[in-house]
Amino acid sequence: MASYIAKRLLAAIPVLLGLTVIVFFIMAMIPGDPATAILGTYATPENVEKLNRDLGLDKPLVQQYFIWLGNLLHGDFGRSFALNRPVLDEVLERFSATLILAGTALVLCSILGLLAGVVSAVRQFGWTDRIVTLVVLVGISTPSFFLGLLLILVFAVKLQWLPASGMWAIYGGGDLPDLLRHLILPASTLAVVATGVIARLTRTAMLEVLRQDFIRTARAKGLPERKVIMKHAVKAALVSVIPVIGIQAGFVLGGAVYIETVFQWPGIGSMLVKAISTRDLLLVQGGVLVVAAAYVLFNLAADVVQTMIDPRLR
Amino acid sequence: MKRILAAAVAALSLMFSQAAFSQTPPNVLVVGQIAEPKSMDPATVTAVNDFRILMNVYDGLVRYKDGTLEVEPSLAESWTISDDGTVYTFKLRDGVKFHDGTDFNAEAVKFNFDRILDENHPFHDTGPFPLSFYFSAVEDVNVVDPLTIEFRLDAPYAPFLSNLAYTPGLMVSPAAVEAQGKDFGRNPSGTGAFKFAEWEANSKVVVVRNEEYWDGAPPLEAVIYRPITDANTRIAEMLSGGLDIMVEVPPDSLAQFRDNDSYKVVEQAGPHLWFLILNLKEGPFADKKVRQAANYALNKKALVENILQGTAQVAAGPTPPAFAWAYNDALEPYPYDPEKAKALLAEAGYDGEEVTFYVTDGGSGMLDPVAMGTAIQADLEAIGMNVNVETYEWNTFLGKVNPGLEGKADMAEMAWMTNDPDTLPFLALRSEAWPDKGGFNSGYYSNPKVDELLNNARKSTDQAERAKLYQEMQTIVQEDAPWVFVANWKQNAVTKSSVEDFKLQPSFFLMLQKVSKPQ
Amino acid sequence: MAETTALSSGSKRSVGNRQSNLRLLMNNRLAAGGLVILVAVVLIALAAPILPLADPDVTDPVNRLLPAFSEGHLLGTDELGRDLLSRLIWGTRVSLAVGLSATVIAAFLGSLIGLVAGYAGGRTDAILMRGIDMVMAFPYILLALAIVAVLGPGLLNALYAIAVVNIPFFARNIRGMALGLSRREFVDAARLSGMSHVRILFGEVLPNVLPVIIITMSTTIGWMILETAGLSFLGLGAQPPQADLGSMLGQGRKVLFTNPHVSIIPGLMIFVLVMSINLLGDGVRDVLDPRLKSGSLTRPVARTAVERAVMPGDLTPHRDAILDVRDLRTEFRIGGEIYKAVGGVDLRVGKGECLGVVGESGSGKSVSAMSIMGLAPTPPGRIVGGVALLDGEDLFSASDERIRMLRGLSVSHVFQDPLSTLHPLFTVGNQLVEAIQAHSRMTGSEARKKAEALLRMVRIPNPAERLKAYPHELSGGMRQRVCIAMALANDADVIIADEPTTALDVTVQAQILSLLDRLRKDNDTGILFITHDFGVVSAICDRVAVMYAGKVVETGATEEILSQPAHPYTAKLIQCVPVLGEPERRFGAISGRPPVVNRLPDGCAFAPRCQKATDECRKTEIAMTELSDGRAVRCIHPLSAREAAA
Repeated sequence: MASYIAKRLLAAIPVLLGLTVIVFFIMAMIPGDPATAILGTYATPENVEKLNRDLGLDKPLVQQYFIWLGNLLHGDFGRSFALNRPVLDEVLERFSATLILAGTALVLCSILGLLAGVVSAVRQFGWTDRIVTLVVLVGISTPSFFLGLLLILVFAVKLQWLPASGMWAIYGGGDLPDLLRHLILPASTLAVVATGVIARLTRTAMLEVLRQDFIRTARAKGLPERKVIMKHAVKAALVSVIPVIGIQAGFVLGGAVYIETVFQWPGIGSMLVKAISTRDLLLVQGGVLVVAAAYVLFNLAADVVQTMIDPRLR
Repeated sequence: MKRILAAAVAALSLMFSQAAFSQTPPNVLVVGQIAEPKSMDPATVTAVNDFRILMNVYDGLVRYKDGTLEVEPSLAESWTISDDGTVYTFKLRDGVKFHDGTDFNAEAVKFNFDRILDENHPFHDTGPFPLSFYFSAVEDVNVVDPLTIEFRLDAPYAPFLSNLAYTPGLMVSPAAVEAQGKDFGRNPSGTGAFKFAEWEANSKVVVVRNEEYWDGAPPLEAVIYRPITDANTRIAEMLSGGLDIMVEVPPDSLAQFRDNDSYKVVEQAGPHLWFLILNLKEGPFADKKVRQAANYALNKKALVENILQGTAQVAAGPTPPAFAWAYNDALEPYPYDPEKAKALLAEAGYDGEEVTFYVTDGGSGMLDPVAMGTAIQADLEAIGMNVNVETYEWNTFLGKVNPGLEGKADMAEMAWMTNDPDTLPFLALRSEAWPDKGGFNSGYYSNPKVDELLNNARKSTDQAERAKLYQEMQTIVQEDAPWVFVANWKQNAVTKSSVEDFKLQPSFFLMLQKVSKPQ
Repeated sequence: MAETTALSSGSKRSVGNRQSNLRLLMNNRLAAGGLVILVAVVLIALAAPILPLADPDVTDPVNRLLPAFSEGHLLGTDELGRDLLSRLIWGTRVSLAVGLSATVIAAFLGSLIGLVAGYAGGRTDAILMRGIDMVMAFPYILLALAIVAVLGPGLLNALYAIAVVNIPFFARNIRGMALGLSRREFVDAARLSGMSHVRILFGEVLPNVLPVIIITMSTTIGWMILETAGLSFLGLGAQPPQADLGSMLGQGRKVLFTNPHVSIIPGLMIFVLVMSINLLGDGVRDVLDPRLKSGSLTRPVARTAVERAVMPGDLTPHRDAILDVRDLRTEFRIGGEIYKAVGGVDLRVGKGECLGVVGESGSGKSVSAMSIMGLAPTPPGRIVGGVALLDGEDLFSASDERIRMLRGLSVSHVFQDPLSTLHPLFTVGNQLVEAIQAHSRMTGSEARKKAEALLRMVRIPNPAERLKAYPHELSGGMRQRVCIAMALANDADVIIADEPTTALDVTVQAQILSLLDRLRKDNDTGILFITHDFGVVSAICDRVAVMYAGKVVETGATEEILSQPAHPYTAKLIQCVPVLGEPERRFGAISGRPPVVNRLPDGCAFAPRCQKATDECRKTEIAMTELSDGRAVRCIHPLSAREAAA
């Protein structure tokens, strides 16, 4: 197992490096430069040129990349132009916020998605199945940014049950209930689409599994139906659902961009959107690298879990 | 199962019940900002959003008198100006200390200006200092004695005093800069009414009462600035009680605050101009008649009253009326007259050539640029112009507009907020201010008479004489129509009714020194 | 959307049955509803230029933000006074066009990459897939943002960005399939015949992945429209004044709190559009997915449904029978057709007796056996007649809980393929212990000990170690021994063994048979032994029932039937058994095919294949004729002793 994980991690390195090259050159191709962004309305060509020189942006692109890479190998992610702050500090701070949000959403969508899928498969063609199917379809057909706005409108503005934005209350807060209160709306919004995807997939996987011979065996043994479903069928269905949860992690991380914008969650998605607009090259590099690494790790984790469940893959 | 359910219900009710208490405590003011500050080093920032914090943490040698754009003493108790207008000597206030405990004195003033202006200063690398051109006339800063400082200018420069009251003129603690270096922007120290306490990235900046403030400690114990970039979210926070003050309220939301006794709406016109830069070098706008036609074509009244919901006034010329002494009252805005516009187009022989219009999606002072751009496009289409809109995100937009419109576009949205009638025309209307010469005249306007008037106006230290020159300039520029003059913004803010003594300033600064919130 | 449509089948498909596909699609009410809504939306969008709509781009600031149902503006106006209805329809047109084009571009490029990677394999595959991995690791919205930032804003550029971001899904799905296909015989054959790679790829491989491409497209298009709307929402899509649904929502959002209709209307439109596409997409998937064809993907419930129309009047069990099945009738209902899989079968097993049920596949022998304990799949199966008496108790009228109790306790099962019948994810020990604990209150360690003893009983060496093994770690014979051990766990009275040796090779087969034989004698267990192989029957069964087309056609003691079959079908079956030392003996398939059980002929079902058949055989149903005690045949021209020997 350890050697498998090590091998997968090694294989991820070229992917991540390739990614940084892509990011570097895409950022270079975007018109406008960080100096303009820093100087704002007062960016004259003269000022811009001077500032670019100060920031080391006048060097050839390839050279800039290798300087960055060299620093990275020493653990130095560089300094954000726009925030005047070490990239790593900002990225880690933002990423932990995203991790809380996306992690909650992921747990939420995994549990709800699996539950809905299992129930809907077991009650196939029944009312429960139809309702779940319809709700799931509604979920994957709603634009998440729109849903977020509606939830704010209803729960924060009209009912005033939950805070409209942010991660912590300004006063008093700082404890777990405070965080949870702020999490409910954005995490649910973020989880909706992924829940739908997972539920649909679970339903199909369950239906397929329930037709398998080993389910008949379990029934022939005289096991209670509950045990047949919850133990035998669910575990087998998980094998095909878990990699999809891994892929959904990517979508949840991606979808977090909208949600963080709508809910003012201080996460890495909204940071990256802003960093792209301010041409904050090193911040974009650092942010994308961390997000991509998280995605890779998450998929690896999904594969490891899958391997743990399914001995045939060992 | 039942027990788990009961526990869940209990936990939920706890969460919801606490949610109702998102009220802010007395004597602590929570301000909804439109963005995270870039830095708290006053010499490095350009955004009004950042000024709103800095003006309460720092003082300059002079400041704007409450409710005006006239300067009054601040850290300097008095000053004298040499007859030729090139030497300014300031007497400093005695006994003022920076928040870090070090003394404010003439050496500190010299440090501040040298840091910005002298490329060889050891702390020049704490920049960049984008507004350093405010003091480009300064040749030397000399310490006469610990409480006397002297500025020598290379030429008479009338806006100098006003510029000293603006953000790049705020005094930072030399000791703190020396200790923090590049990180000073996140660990600031000034002399202002509030001391920096905490900056939690992307969440809040907290400043607390400076008990030793030379002008009397402020009533508020603390001010918390929260960056909320999304206007809707900002409104939602205001409505749900998480904010005490919210600035830049979207026009359409003002009404619901006006109609509610729990809130107060504050408005204040300021020196702001929203205009369209026209490309005079090529294309249809090279012809003055077409430029005037564009000015006649826009229904500016509908723009400010409907789209901006009365949060702005129709602009007449290049100088906003907030600069009362320099404003030409005789100037009437171009009326809305599509027939005349059509006639002018016909006279100019406009043949339906396509016009590219740069629109941005946000940005400092840009009001509602997409809606405005769309409405303007429709007005121009109505007189037969063929307008093609291209929308760019603010920084890309600046990257395209500031180097000049030549070869790219025929018109572009723009807005400026300034502190002196000199700034905008000097930087954006002179022949010497074309982009290739380091200015912001992106539409390539050039009129020797205007150049002369502007150069003379900044040399004179006599306000009456300056006023005459500016007023003449406005008449010429309006007639030449290098821009389409659209609107002057009335800044607005909403406060909870419990906030007392809050005023907006024409300078667009947010001054909280006298504000209180007893409950 | 990341719904991996991992289709396993890659069989060559004919593309002729469009008619029936459409009918299948319309049978799905949700999909039909989606189609109707989508067609309506598309028609309205297409008709936009000829509808009496206001100009969508003309602003009228004085009449801005009018509520819905205002005069002249059915849906009200937006923040610039433009007619919302008109913008909605024109915007839908734009959003649809963009979503569709982005899907087509992504499908084209993604499929191309997937095909090439899967077909070429090796280094090409590795490089292409690493590239795809990179795109996937990049948060998709940010990638789209960056692309739009490079290309500049605009609908067309947003379209490209969305297309690029979605290439990986197509590439990954198609690659998997292409990889499988490129190893198939027909591709090898094409290669050997000297076809160029391009021709093979597009002529042979592409047609087979086309359904997957279409399925992936139908499931992604809704997602694409959402994503395009998302970019426009962020202000990067359509340029003013042009309307698309996303930018309408984005602009309307500014007045969400004061005039919610401006954003809610386009928001709902996006929802309706995407929802209808998704409904339709689901339907298309159901129709095209080979797994779901033939009556959609259903799962069997815990017990076969019982809807008995006819019941035998006499419910007293046969005197020595522990299990007595009489006139059992089981049907399958698939898509309006009724398949009479079992049409009145009598079977009887005594204590310690082994009854062989023999027949070709499709003769109904397995269904008969599975019906007894309610293990025939419902849907589509149903027991419509007969009784199964276990020790005198009518199993078909017993409660579900009672049946669960009896399963594994009184009647246990051994199935055909021991690999698929054991759960692959649990250890052998776990599954054995489970079988034991289902019917007794043993503690874990006691059950474990018993499991070990059971393994020893079925002659598995080193049983304590084997308990920790997973099924795939054992050989086929071992696995079947485990299954048998499981069947023995609770000393059942009857074991129903459904082709327990078919999946095994011959030497193992013999071992298993002798094991079963010994165990039933030691434990006095009755066995219902289902097989298609008379060779196996001769090794273990006391009596035999031969089945054809859902009916028993001959029954009697094993030796009698083997030595002198009375039914022509029985004789043919026996001929199929290879005999050691007679390699020249002709054996093989019986000519012709067994009849389909939804259209059974009148009279003898075997008549079409029978050399002795006469007109009389085809007239009416043939009854069982008692030949001697315990010997009966369903034939009016039974074979004579001489014929049988031939």
